[in-house]
Amino acid sequence: MPILQAKNLTKKFKSFTAVDDISFNLEEGEILGLLGPNGAGKTTTLQMLLGALTPTAGEVYYFNKLLSQDREEILEQVNFSSSYIELPARLKVKECLKFISFLYNISGRRQRVEKIVDIFKLGNLLNKEVHELSAGQKTKVNLAKSLINFPRVLLLDEPTASLDPEVADFIRSFLLEERKKFKISIIITSHNMAEVEELCDRVIFINQGRIIADDTPQSLARSMRISHVELKVSQGKEKLLNYVKNNRVAFKDNGLRVIIDLAEKDIPDFLKNVMRQGIVYEEISIAKPTLNDYFLFVADGQNSNL
Amino acid sequence: MAIHRIYAVLLRHFYDSFRTVDRLADIFYWPTIDLLLWGLTSLFIKSFAPELPQITLIIVSGIVFWLFVRRAQLDMSISLLGDLWDRNLINIFVSPLKFSEWIASFIILGFLKIILSFSFAAALAYILYEVNIFYFGFYLIPFALLLMMTGWWVGMFVNSLIMRYGTRIQNFAWSIVMVISPFSAIYYPLSILPDWMQKIAALVPTSYIFEGAREVISYGALDPRKLLYSFILNLIYISLGLIFLKKSFKKMLNRGLLSLY
Repeated sequence: MPILQAKNLTKKFKSFTAVDDISFNLEEGEILGLLGPNGAGKTTTLQMLLGALTPTAGEVYYFNKLLSQDREEILEQVNFSSSYIELPARLKVKECLKFISFLYNISGRRQRVEKIVDIFKLGNLLNKEVHELSAGQKTKVNLAKSLINFPRVLLLDEPTASLDPEVADFIRSFLLEERKKFKISIIITSHNMAEVEELCDRVIFINQGRIIADDTPQSLARSMRISHVELKVSQGKEKLLNYVKNNRVAFKDNGLRVIIDLAEKDIPDFLKNVMRQGIVYEEISIAKPTLNDYFLFVADGQNSNL
Repeated sequence: MAIHRIYAVLLRHFYDSFRTVDRLADIFYWPTIDLLLWGLTSLFIKSFAPELPQITLIIVSGIVFWLFVRRAQLDMSISLLGDLWDRNLINIFVSPLKFSEWIASFIILGFLKIILSFSFAAALAYILYEVNIFYFGFYLIPFALLLMMTGWWVGMFVNSLIMRYGTRIQNFAWSIVMVISPFSAIYYPLSILPDWMQKIAALVPTSYIFEGAREVISYGALDPRKLLYSFILNLIYISLGLIFLKKSFKKMLNRGLLSLY
């Protein structure tokens, strides 16, 4: 049985439809990526899943219970973190964690706060007021507060935005570990496609308020059927550029290197033709399509050609 | 209602209140300024109008009693604004906190701050002018409760408006309560108001309290119907305030908590 079900969620703001009849499930222990360009409807969807925004139509179920009816019982087991939400600026970090912990019915409250502080290495920040923290530190504290109630479902809005790579890596490892240990289910929005590929079991792509894809990150990337062939050309670069232009092949000229987008099956013929024209390259690399390619494809509004 | 959740909201605002200079100023600074300004004015009036021996008691007790209205309203509104300024509202409402617990915590917080502010102002009134606010004896309890009730419903209306229109109307938090002050007859008898103002004053619960307080000063007792009228009016306005607040909260959720800043 799914741990979360969004059924026919729709949100209209006057004549603008931000989210248009979307339905999806989240399974226990699953990490689901909610992706899409800016303004696609991701944050609106997250807000509806949290009960912070009333849907125009549709319902949200957690643990087979209706959010609008069993709000308190459900939200005891859910939490949320966003890089764009602040904690009270004048409160010390320890005070924030304390007051948030009292919002939930936690047994062993003090030990839980200590554990969270320990996990996120917040010891040296405890006596700092929130406004004194860097953006990365704030994100870290926000994430820490979202785990304070042992959530069964965690909703994360760009959890690693503004974190340095080391801390972001720690957060990703931590989330994977939490999922493994406690079967915690996570919905995550992110613009870091590499992160989504690393974390998510499944990805839902939203564009203009509608779900346009629901699949694994690998399948979505594969659906692009385009590889990037990168050549470091030592002789005949102009010839190469003319060739790709004439054949209407997408390419990027990076000075010494030229990156050409080709379907995998067309690569052997392309390389044969390049050699025939006397173009010489010193280095070649072929990169498989990634989720980032899919994202850019959707963001460019080309989804109708899929 | 869950005590731990009410305590959480109290804790959040307690930390904020005692670390923010302007919130401390609300508790101590403004009562001090009001007492100095109007208390000294009353001494001046008394110096050339000896037939008004109780003028200092009337004005100083008016200042101290008005604190109940102002603080109850202000704390309710500032608590909401604090969460909006801090962009913290969504953290509060993605937790299991109920709307009723949120409102209850504002009322409790206001009550605690009123005790602090009142004790300070009462002590200052005694030190500066030898005005003993406990002169009113038992009447102090219904006076305080009824005045706080007025602060609560005004706070509910102000908060409802803030929920609908966001921080761009935040000035209402400090200004709206002043609209009822001329009709409350804090420092002067109702009889000096023009007819049309007296008609409005009859619908303002605080007018019965301040009028009653002057009766206690003059005759040592008051007509208990004044307390009853004030209570009934407060009850009606609190009920309307709660309905308006609940509707505004629903409207806010329709627009989304993130849209309010």
